Amino acid sequence: MKKIFVILLIILVIMIAAPLAGMFLKVSFSDFAAVLKDDEVINSIVLTLRASLWSTLAALAVGVPASFVLARYDFYGKKIIEGLIDIPVIVPHTAAGIALLTVLGRKSLFGQITGISLMGTEAAISIGMFFVSVPFLINHVKTGFRLIDERYEKVAGTLGASNTQTFMLISLPLVKKSILSGSVMMWARGISEFGAVAILAYHPMVASVLIYDRYESFGLDSARPVAVLLITVCLIIFVTLRVIEHKSGKSGR
Amino acid sequence: MIEIKKLSIDLGDFKLKDIDLKIERGEYFVILGPSGAGKTVILELIAGLIKPDSGVIEGIDNKRSALIYQDYMLFPHLNVFDNIAFGLKVRKKKKDEIKSEVNSAAEKLGITGLLDRSVQTLSGGESQRTAIARASVTDPELFLLDEPTAALDSNTRTGILELLKDLHSKNKSTFIHVTHNFEEALYLADRIAVIKDGELIQTGTPNEIFNHPTSKFVADFVGFENVFYGSVKDGKFTSENDPDFILTVNCGNCDSVYLALKSEDVIVSKEKFESSARNSFSGTVTEVINRLSGNEIVFMVNKTKLISAVTKISTEELGIKKGSQFRLTFKTSSLKVFPH
Repeated sequence: MKKIFVILLIILVIMIAAPLAGMFLKVSFSDFAAVLKDDEVINSIVLTLRASLWSTLAALAVGVPASFVLARYDFYGKKIIEGLIDIPVIVPHTAAGIALLTVLGRKSLFGQITGISLMGTEAAISIGMFFVSVPFLINHVKTGFRLIDERYEKVAGTLGASNTQTFMLISLPLVKKSILSGSVMMWARGISEFGAVAILAYHPMVASVLIYDRYESFGLDSARPVAVLLITVCLIIFVTLRVIEHKSGKSGR
Repeated sequence: MIEIKKLSIDLGDFKLKDIDLKIERGEYFVILGPSGAGKTVILELIAGLIKPDSGVIEGIDNKRSALIYQDYMLFPHLNVFDNIAFGLKVRKKKKDEIKSEVNSAAEKLGITGLLDRSVQTLSGGESQRTAIARASVTDPELFLLDEPTAALDSNTRTGILELLKDLHSKNKSTFIHVTHNFEEALYLADRIAVIKDGELIQTGTPNEIFNHPTSKFVADFVGFENVFYGSVKDGKFTSENDPDFILTVNCGNCDSVYLALKSEDVIVSKEKFESSARNSFSGTVTEVINRLSGNEIVFMVNKTKLISAVTKISTEELGIKKGSQFRLTFKTSSLKVFPH
């Protein structure tokens, strides 16, 4: 049985690695160097990383306390809320983009009251990324909180800690690893988002939109080096984060 | 005084029914019962961590009660020092004050050398000492101990029990200690409450519980069929309930002591025989109780009840029946001594 499982694992690795390797091999060094000097490409990658970072930070502020509530308390309608949070994962992201446009567009209630249109702004990009990737953070952190023995919190209470002190000094440090890995997952998901972002803000172009745009306008050879650069940047960042996560996670969950 | 009135809770697979308890300030109170009897739930109710369905608990300042679990519950992300300091930090004490209090607690508990260690590297005994230090620095009025020695080996256990006894005699705090271990109860308790299936079976001093059990469950549960209470002078034990009942015991002087003796260690014979056993009495059979494994014979020696386990064949061959007289003999070493 072990042999078959190993073979299946190898097949899986090939299915993921082969297209990536093929793409990397097709890009010449001079093409890659040219992309590095292309301001539009660099700006777009920076914009992507930054917009996704804003969405992740916003999700941390809202999502960590929300995850704690979902992990610790039972209340009427909890299952419905949990289902609702998972919806962005299962709907097509273009549909998510349309939904957001309906709420945030110029003709929406929000747009009419405030007179603000977020369409085509970095804020819209972050909102799109937030919508589709926040379930990753919440589910990760929620599981982290659930895995903590509640008696740690009870003991902290009997030692005189207030609920806030218990949360800040005990619960939060114990889910540090879950928060870190959930944030990395969410940030990564935000960077890779295309559908929702393309509908909310085609311009300024995030990397995924730029790759699509180059492919549509100039063909495969023009899109490929941009894709390779984005993947390279992502790989470097995520490997670094995983190493940090591994080192810091030793004391927590 | 802590007063628990008609405390009830229904947790689905477990119910606690109309528990009434009165616990004096400064008392060492042991709640004794088999696993699954609801002992931990009572502690968590007293600590205010769960709310009862009905009933009240009076006389407790929840901010001044410390809970100690059998699996220590040391905060895994903090080292030994920071674990002990936790209760002081949340009270916003000054840094040097925290340092000196933690050091003095560590010294009392013999863990000074461990303060920089990660709690994950501690042995069971070291962990429990740390947990006790963490609780005691907050100067609690009430210690709540949930089977604090259940996860320890027997040598370490003895050390922790001595430490608890010492802590109780030095502090003026009230201790409520739950355990399934009868010896622990004998060693520590001023008073005991016996609990079974969420119901309070009996409350009283160890002497009352073991010598006047109100139900067969109590008698079976304690594991020792004979428990005597009294004082020891020059190796001679005198029963408080029966001054003519004098035993030879293996300890010096003690004003207050419990002795425990298993029924299978009591030899029944027709005549006195010469042997190394120091304790020999004449007793009258008052009852023959049929058990699966054999018979339990209840004797009266002066005013003291003494139970011996005898096989069915021996019962027949010796002609043991109600009213007949026999010699009862047991060794000094089979008497377990619990100074109090």
